[in-house]
Amino acid sequence: MLLSKNKVISQNFILLIIFVLIFQKDIFCQQLKDNLLSVGSRLKFADYLFQQEDYLRALNEYREFLKFENNDSVRYRLAESFFRIGRFSEAADNFKGLFLGSDISEEAKLGFYRSFFFSGDYKIFRELATTSIYVPDKYKTEINRLYFISHFMDNTLPYDTAKMFSAFPDSNRQEIKNFYRGRKFPEYKSPTTAALLSAAVPGLGKIYTGEIGDGITSFITTGLLVFLSVNNFDHDHDFRGWLFAGLATLSYGGTIYGSAASAQIYNAGIKFNIDNGIKLYFEKRNYFLPKLEF
Amino acid sequence: MKTVIIIILLFSSLIFSQTDWVKWEAKQISYEVKKEVIQPSAANGLGTKLVSGLQKFYKFFISDLDGDNCPFYPSCSKFFVESVNEAGLIKGSLMFTDRFIRDLNFFKGSNDYPKYINGKYYDPAYNYTLISQKIKYFPGDAVVKE
Repeated sequence: MLLSKNKVISQNFILLIIFVLIFQKDIFCQQLKDNLLSVGSRLKFADYLFQQEDYLRALNEYREFLKFENNDSVRYRLAESFFRIGRFSEAADNFKGLFLGSDISEEAKLGFYRSFFFSGDYKIFRELATTSIYVPDKYKTEINRLYFISHFMDNTLPYDTAKMFSAFPDSNRQEIKNFYRGRKFPEYKSPTTAALLSAAVPGLGKIYTGEIGDGITSFITTGLLVFLSVNNFDHDHDFRGWLFAGLATLSYGGTIYGSAASAQIYNAGIKFNIDNGIKLYFEKRNYFLPKLEF
Repeated sequence: MKTVIIIILLFSSLIFSQTDWVKWEAKQISYEVKKEVIQPSAANGLGTKLVSGLQKFYKFFISDLDGDNCPFYPSCSKFFVESVNEAGLIKGSLMFTDRFIRDLNFFKGSNDYPKYINGKYYDPAYNYTLISQKIKYFPGDAVVKE
């Protein structure tokens, strides 16, 4: 009898544990006042994701929101999300959807041009900026500036600079002029000159490209090998004489070749620094674009 | 039957739980050290084979015993193989000679070579072929991981 009672207690205890395990998720689950998937909740969540710079998920939530309600600023944010994750053609399409009958059509037009500019296809951007009817009156100056910046970016700078410099604020004009000079007349070193200099004096071409240590080493190495060759011939060691003569020739040829290569690498460095300097300068100033928030 | 129901109830939370973990699952990373093989180009196959053979001989009989002393990456012997592969035997030999002289330079630190991840000066052969499109420029303070 006692054994049976214990068995019943044990069974009840097991059942209690099972129930606790089953309902634990309900005990610890999130309590919501509103419906999680309501339109308002979606918008709040989408805005939160946008603030957190999680644009990929934000644009999905904006899309869901727009299935139920039409809202221009949400459509702008949807386009902006596409823009920020680098899907520029979709961003341009979505900005275009706001061109007519919207209070933010001017901003949308600016967004449209921004999308083409940042897509990197500067030729199409320039065509649109010069021929299109979409250029917003409110942001004409900004689009004009982007037009000239695009020339800086793909190195197609015009010779008529008066219009270009006047598009930028006075405080930045001198720096823009410096960039123009750097782009238009880069201080490249000629590989041919470097090679000829090294042919005249081994290593001089390297000194010309700024590699002074390499130039001196080349001069000493080639000079030493020539001396060893001549010295061995003088002392009737013909084999060693020819050996050092061969090595001296190789060293001489290598120095001439290396000087030309050094000039090319120097030029690549100049181009890299100009490209990088221009990109950083405009990036730091947000390409002279206003910061828009909706 | 009773046991089955209990099990289903116990795992019900798992059935309805979030399933997008699949999307973000950790990638399987291979830690296998890949063998660096230089593929000989069709034009310079013979030159590359010849220089590769010389390099293997040098590596086995000299370099392995002498130790890893070259301050550059790729090392001078490997640079020779790569340059012959890139530009042919004659041009490759000139490239190697130039590299060898640069290696002799006591003031290498002032040359603004970028560093490779192993701490050596990064100086690949394709930068010296005299074909400007092939040049990949890295600033002196860069750490190259390619």
